[in-house]
Amino acid sequence: MNRIVLVGTSHHIAPLDFRERMAFPELQLPEAFRSLKEDYGARETVILSTCNRVEIYATTSANGGSAAFSNFLATYHQLDPQQLHKFTYSHQDLNAILHLFKVTASLDSMVVGEPQILGQVKEAYDQSMSAGATGTILNRLFAKAISVGKRVRSETNIGSGAVSISYVAVELAKKIFPSLEDKTIAIIGAGEMSELTAQHLVENGASKVIVANRTYERAVKIAEKFNGVPLAYDSDLSFLVEADIVISSTNAPHYLIRRQSLAAIMKKRKHRYMFLIDIAVPRDIDPEVSKVDNAFLYNIDDLEAVIASNLEERQREAGLAAQIVEEEAAKFHSQLQVFEVNPLIKALHQQFQQVASKELSVCLNRAGLSPKQQKLVRSMTQSIIKKLLHQPTKNLRQVALNPDSAGAVNDISGDHVQYVQALQELFALENADDVETENSAES
Amino acid sequence: MNFLFFHLLLLAYLAASILHILFLTTRSRKVVQSAYWVTTSGFVLHSVFIALRWQRSGHFWADWYDSTSFLAWALILIYLCITHLTHLRTIGVFVVPAAFISIVISFTLQTQENTEIPAYLQNYWFVAHSTFIFLAYAAFIAAFGFGLMYLIEEKKIREKQHTVIHSLLPALGRLDELGHRCIIVGLILLTMGIIIGGLWTRYVQGITWKWIDPKVVFTIATWLIYALQLSIRQILGWRGRKTAYSAIVGFGAILFTYVGVNVFLPSTHAF
Repeated sequence: MNRIVLVGTSHHIAPLDFRERMAFPELQLPEAFRSLKEDYGARETVILSTCNRVEIYATTSANGGSAAFSNFLATYHQLDPQQLHKFTYSHQDLNAILHLFKVTASLDSMVVGEPQILGQVKEAYDQSMSAGATGTILNRLFAKAISVGKRVRSETNIGSGAVSISYVAVELAKKIFPSLEDKTIAIIGAGEMSELTAQHLVENGASKVIVANRTYERAVKIAEKFNGVPLAYDSDLSFLVEADIVISSTNAPHYLIRRQSLAAIMKKRKHRYMFLIDIAVPRDIDPEVSKVDNAFLYNIDDLEAVIASNLEERQREAGLAAQIVEEEAAKFHSQLQVFEVNPLIKALHQQFQQVASKELSVCLNRAGLSPKQQKLVRSMTQSIIKKLLHQPTKNLRQVALNPDSAGAVNDISGDHVQYVQALQELFALENADDVETENSAES
Repeated sequence: MNFLFFHLLLLAYLAASILHILFLTTRSRKVVQSAYWVTTSGFVLHSVFIALRWQRSGHFWADWYDSTSFLAWALILIYLCITHLTHLRTIGVFVVPAAFISIVISFTLQTQENTEIPAYLQNYWFVAHSTFIFLAYAAFIAAFGFGLMYLIEEKKIREKQHTVIHSLLPALGRLDELGHRCIIVGLILLTMGIIIGGLWTRYVQGITWKWIDPKVVFTIATWLIYALQLSIRQILGWRGRKTAYSAIVGFGAILFTYVGVNVFLPSTHAF
């Protein structure tokens, strides 16, 4: 019988330099697939290689399971076996399925709920599929994993809530302005963080950028990046009349914007909303400013607090997501087992049909029956086959679906693998796996 | 038949309210979507109910029962219009339970099926006058709701608190805009209702205007509150918290005009 095996490493247990050595560049994938298949007994393979994890998913009928693939990794990347043992994990069947579903649902990511992993899993699967390395089982497994990942994203809020300063700023801006289109951003001072924040705001529709700096040349330099307007900043704040979003990060030792001056500015701009982001330490904007009507002020600590609460929220949602993932993994695992006994059931039916049609042709040749009588005999034969095989088929599926119930139903202990072997031997059936590959070749 | 319809729509609004509240805890899109559809079917039932009642009793407006029921209907109508235009289904969390309470009040006020109303009220002037006034009330109540939502969200943003309700509400600017528009629409409807009422008494009934009727006086006062607020907004750019506060003051005025006047003062208006 086929087993699903996983061997891999991730940021949870391995340092970066180990993960680097384990990585599979895209160009090397076909060679890795070939080696896994020919030298290590893998029927199907998918290799997921991202900066945070390297995982090999494979199906194999060999009993060794994960050991063979660990050997492959050791040989392929020329790694010390001890180190490999320390920094890798391996799972089989249900646990391998569960792990893949968790990965795809972004439950195993460094930042829980991050959106990239779903695309990365999809890409890894596409690469394996186009290299011809996947078959019926991994095709089903990865299609399911991707749909589970989508389900988790749509049914839980695991991906909601920004977790970086610049995205939190964008999210808050969207809480104040119905749309960022036509909004004007003013950057006071300079700095990576304020530029990044402005960039995200522009990506979300903000159209105009004003850059104010003590040195005009510096302002020009930054303004160029956003097609913005540079300004040499001296204590004159009149440019704020136009600004809807203000990002301040100067090195000034005192407040640049105070309550009185902002109140005057707000009056001039007819009290249109203003969102002020103060990421300077020491602060540029007097906290009293937040008492001005329609002006909203967030400083660096406020933004960090939002991030912390968003992360907490994601953790809570991760619990819900884990439930979905566990349910789906268990369901998929049992479906897979039914799927595995199907070829055997088919082979059994085929054998009965062959015997019947052979005997029928001999008998009908001799008997000289009328067409109507012939038809009757044929349909009787069919119904005998159906009825004889009905109960065994049903029981086999039942056992595959729920291995524990085997003893209770028929007083015979053992899981479906034993049933399959017994049937194969008793009826001298072909290897179910071969039948399966035949089937997949047909379809 | 009427009674069955009434129970069905009561049930639909109850279910819609529960679903909306459930949405607060689960935040599942499916829940808010089904809440929307249950509300819509409640609205259809409600429309049929009003039509049947009108057809059977022969008059559209008879008593408090009719007016509260119509108010609930108008609130849902506004909710459906806004969700249709903006896809903001989450505002149902605030609107639908309000409509449900209104319909429950209507239920408790239910009197005999056929309230006798004087013959001089049985005409389209009266129907138009009442309909415009109550549509205006509904628009102002919606503005009040947006004002409340605005104040809640503004407080959360100022205090840097991120809670469930906060994440459900649309942007502050949008709440302000929606409230503002509701006030404009409400003011237009109220103006029309007042004009129709005035023309009707003056030229159809031939009565000289009685300014001393408290209902008229307070309606004009309500009109002034909203008109003043709109002008200040236009000229000085007042928005946000100030719009929200004025919507709340206006709502108080409406509540008094609608209910208070009849309780405390003599009026020729039955409701």
